[in-house]
Amino acid sequence: MKNFRTTKLLTLVLAGTLALAGCSSSKDAGSSGAADGGNAADTNSTAPVTFTFFGADASPNWNNMKDDVGQEITKKTGVTINAEYDVGSGGGDQKISLMAASGQYPDLIYAKGSLSTLIDAGALVDMTDLIDKYAPNLKKLYSSNMNRLKYSNEDPKIYSIPTNVGVDNMIFDATGGFEIQHRVLKELGYPKVKTVQDYENVLKQYVAKHPTTNGQPTIPLTLNADDWKIMITVTNPAFQATGAPDDGEYYIDPTTYEAKLHYKRPEEKEYFRWLNHMYNEGLLDKDTFVQKDDQYKAKISSGRVLGLIDQEWDYQDAENALKSANKNEFTYAHFPVTMSEDIKDKSMQSVGFDGYGISITTSCKDPVRAIKFLDWLASDEGQVLRNWGVEGKHYKVENGKRVIPAEIQNRKVNDASTFSKETGIGLYTAMSGRYGDGVKDSTGNYYTTNFPEQIVASYSDAEKESLKGYNATTWKDLFPNEKDFPVKDWGAAYNMTVPTDGEYQVIWKKTQDIVRKSIPEAVLSKPADFDKVYDNFLASLDKAGAPKMEAEYTTLVKARVSLWTGKDIK
Amino acid sequence: MAGSAFNSTRSEKIFDWFNYTFLTLVLIVTLYPFLNVLAISLNDSTDTVRGGIYLWPRAFTWDNYQTIFNYTGLIQGLKISILRTLVGTVLGLIAASMLAFTLSRVDFRGRKFISTFVALTMYFSGGIVPTYILMRDLHLIGTFWVYVLPGLVSGFNVFIIRSFIDGLPFALQESAKLDGANDFTIYYRVILPLCKPVLATISLFLAVGQWNSWFDTYLYNGTKQQWTTLQYELMKVLQSTQQGGNMTNANDLATQLAHVSPDSIKMAITIVVTIPILVVYPFLQRYFVGGMTLGAVKS
Amino acid sequence: MKTLTMDDNLQHESVTPKAPKRKKKTKGDFWKSVGQQKYLYFMSIPFVIWLFVFSYVPLWGWTMAFQNYKPAKSFSNQKWVGLKNFVELFQDERFYLVLRNTLAMSIMGIVVGFIVPIVFAILLNELRSMKFKRTIQTVSYLPHFVSWVVVAGIITKLLSIDGGIVNEILLSLHIIDQPIQFMAKGNWFWGIVTASDVWKETGWNAIIYLAAITGIDKEQYEAARVDGASRFRQIWNITLPGIRPTIMVLLILSIGHLTSIGFEKQMLLGNSLVTDYSEVLDLYALKYGIQINRFSYGTAIGMFNSIVSIILLFTANGLFKKFAKESIM
Repeated sequence: MKNFRTTKLLTLVLAGTLALAGCSSSKDAGSSGAADGGNAADTNSTAPVTFTFFGADASPNWNNMKDDVGQEITKKTGVTINAEYDVGSGGGDQKISLMAASGQYPDLIYAKGSLSTLIDAGALVDMTDLIDKYAPNLKKLYSSNMNRLKYSNEDPKIYSIPTNVGVDNMIFDATGGFEIQHRVLKELGYPKVKTVQDYENVLKQYVAKHPTTNGQPTIPLTLNADDWKIMITVTNPAFQATGAPDDGEYYIDPTTYEAKLHYKRPEEKEYFRWLNHMYNEGLLDKDTFVQKDDQYKAKISSGRVLGLIDQEWDYQDAENALKSANKNEFTYAHFPVTMSEDIKDKSMQSVGFDGYGISITTSCKDPVRAIKFLDWLASDEGQVLRNWGVEGKHYKVENGKRVIPAEIQNRKVNDASTFSKETGIGLYTAMSGRYGDGVKDSTGNYYTTNFPEQIVASYSDAEKESLKGYNATTWKDLFPNEKDFPVKDWGAAYNMTVPTDGEYQVIWKKTQDIVRKSIPEAVLSKPADFDKVYDNFLASLDKAGAPKMEAEYTTLVKARVSLWTGKDIK
Repeated sequence: MAGSAFNSTRSEKIFDWFNYTFLTLVLIVTLYPFLNVLAISLNDSTDTVRGGIYLWPRAFTWDNYQTIFNYTGLIQGLKISILRTLVGTVLGLIAASMLAFTLSRVDFRGRKFISTFVALTMYFSGGIVPTYILMRDLHLIGTFWVYVLPGLVSGFNVFIIRSFIDGLPFALQESAKLDGANDFTIYYRVILPLCKPVLATISLFLAVGQWNSWFDTYLYNGTKQQWTTLQYELMKVLQSTQQGGNMTNANDLATQLAHVSPDSIKMAITIVVTIPILVVYPFLQRYFVGGMTLGAVKS
Repeated sequence: MKTLTMDDNLQHESVTPKAPKRKKKTKGDFWKSVGQQKYLYFMSIPFVIWLFVFSYVPLWGWTMAFQNYKPAKSFSNQKWVGLKNFVELFQDERFYLVLRNTLAMSIMGIVVGFIVPIVFAILLNELRSMKFKRTIQTVSYLPHFVSWVVVAGIITKLLSIDGGIVNEILLSLHIIDQPIQFMAKGNWFWGIVTASDVWKETGWNAIIYLAAITGIDKEQYEAARVDGASRFRQIWNITLPGIRPTIMVLLILSIGHLTSIGFEKQMLLGNSLVTDYSEVLDLYALKYGIQINRFSYGTAIGMFNSIVSIILLFTANGLFKKFAKESIM
């Protein structure tokens, strides 16, 4: 088997070299024409070719490029993608491990968190030179972020180009924080909601006045602790309310880059003490840690939950049910609530450019062709095609502005699945690099179909009324702006590649188990016991090996910062 | 058949009364989850989020089924699912019954060794990686046969059938032998016809197993459009509703609003995959619910 | 009703011993008997080879338990670590906790999960109305097709303190004055899992027994009735002995499976307040094995599981052979 592998590898390398040689010579031959807009480079590479692709995220509407956008891509580039997307919720880990074990890879792969498995297997092609030589559009797109594409200090190659986030993406609205129903705000005359104390008072006052809603008991506050959602609604708010940005389960000190589990911050203990107080006061739903996701949503859609501490995507279904029943006053406003007024909510702090992306594998017979394909997708033409669709069919250009006809927009909203299946809009988004929302191209149009003007238009009357009550146009206005904070040097810590096996992962799992068990315990304990329970919790984290894991993580953070920023860090 | 209870006593009448009442209760209790699923599958998916749907849809709609059937891959998937169910069941039945027959023969020399050899396979597995590599080396990846061949011989089924054969009078085999039948003829002519009840049971197990499985499709045939199964395609449908189309970031409000709650779709999918089994069921059921009789066989 | 083709010429057969007597074997006898039994070999050897290929060959994967396996490396490049994975497993306190939960739930499951379907099958068999019998039988196995996600949802709602029907009934009967939060209590959990399993799987599990009951010679009942035996006597003397082999075989097989009971229902019914009672070995293996790419650790757990299973299987088989004269090997 080993022999077989080596020969196979050799053949591959040979083939690769030949292909490279072949292509570069043809490139040289056509280089005279390269000046006129890269057309020459295109002409010599539109012969039909098929690339196999694996995507670690699900893409259930994938239609084998029979959709409009796909046809157009094939027409322009000659490339057909034979794609497989992960099904289930595994994020592709299992399939990618099997690929690595059996040595069979697709040509292109969107590996997400399993990137390092493939790199360890030597399955990925270094894209540095390919981008430099053949991909002017990608080069331009990533120009200021080139450092962020590199894998590590020891192995500073580019194994993947981030495609699941847009470059310079702008966030138009706040969709998290602490939520309160519009009816509550209206009745109480749009009270100040800055601290957890304010928040508590609002809920308390209202529930005292209205102990029932539609005949059922009013629930002042409920949280969703079903499985991993506990992080979204119970544990993440602890750092939000205490002025730390989202670094996953860690808190990273912005000056020393030391990482520790965020629960260890003394401020957060106070946040959980507050939750404990809310529970013992009868303000936090008794069902919180027992209810399932659907029960949580059912409660919200009954309109009797006054407050939430959640992200909009988590309770969207319930809000939709309320909206479709014309109960907009039962939907929610967002507030950046903190422990005290001098603490600033950092939800909006930018992580800079950091995301998962697409890679070329050693199985790809023609990496040059592949990179050219990715580059074409990243061209202005390619990006507009991927985001907007085909001109004249899915959008029109009126007075130099791209406009989506009402009828198309209607289908896009109400028949989303079929629409994306037929048109292909949205199916190729993560296939190559792209600009984010709010960025304009050379024609002055936005690259993407999301822009700030849409946000306000989509608000319900109840939302607009509440916003007016707080002198704001969007919820984001209530939150401290991203410009108030520096861009994080370490990017999105929760996406960072950590050692995939060995002790780090074991300690990680153990500490996660402890968190999931102990936080509910602490919240539900008697106020007098809270300190004891919480301190025991912190002690058991350390006993499970947290300091070792934190040290390992700190090293990774520091390495990343120095790789990305060039800073010299001890 | 059971005759008109010519010696039913008082206590037996009480027993009958209790039995009917009790089983009616069982009927209600076991019918509930299915009716609940049916009701939710026929309820508007947005409305479903509100909860509180028990036996009857609150906002009746066919939309959930429409969403499923609008999905293009389904017919192809259905064909493959039916094919694998048929082939897998027939081959599995042949394998299990033949092996069970040989192992039921006390005079068979290999009996003890083979029994142990078969029994052990129920209790270990090499794991997913070696299995995958085996499939690769046998060139089964990307073929239809990867659904049928790896699980062809199931120890469990073999032992169930064998325990049934053990209960049959051995005299039948002996006399057939006296009539000059060889072991294969005995298996085919004597044992198989008598085993109908247990064979019906095992085919049900095999068929349901084949029909419901999607993980092998996921592992081995994800890129082979022509071999994907119904369950696999339905997994994708479920995901398309969970994802709400092409939602790529929190700003994509338009698509967010179109986001359908997957609960109703999930229930509709349950119904869609269960109905075919229910349709086939009566044909098998008659073999194991009192319909068969060994009639005149005396032992 | 005649369903048999060969019964006419079998009429004259008298009681025959179930198994022919074994003769003393010599080498010559061996080949002779192989020749005589060639059909039996033809009908079994192919499947033995089959199982060898598909079940035994992948066992080379067990070597991973002694390595620090990385999917990216070839076999010869893996790092060997001896018994490290097993040492780690046996030193983890969590392992003993999950083992306790696994055994508790599977023993409860075996006891209840055996008795209930057998009783159910017998009660069903005692029904005289064929239509009713078929209806109940069909309906009772429906929950098998409803996924655990849905069933767990239904159970959680039934037992909820927020309008759950169980609490409502108990309250209205004044058995309790405060709703009980069943799902938050660890000591209720095993019972809830067992009961849910009975609810979901009884009808399905009863099918095997129904088939076995069908295999019982109806004339035995006729004869018993002539002798004036009551229905209970008939159940005790005919039905139960008739399905005894099936019961025994299933019992032996499931004792072997004592340590592997899956994790789906426990995971879906559980919540963070009861994890000390809900986490089972299979979930532990997933969480601390494959899920974090520790193929080796996962394999070590799998190996432990298999070895325990096989020991249990042989023990059960031996005991049953000795005391119940029934065995699978």
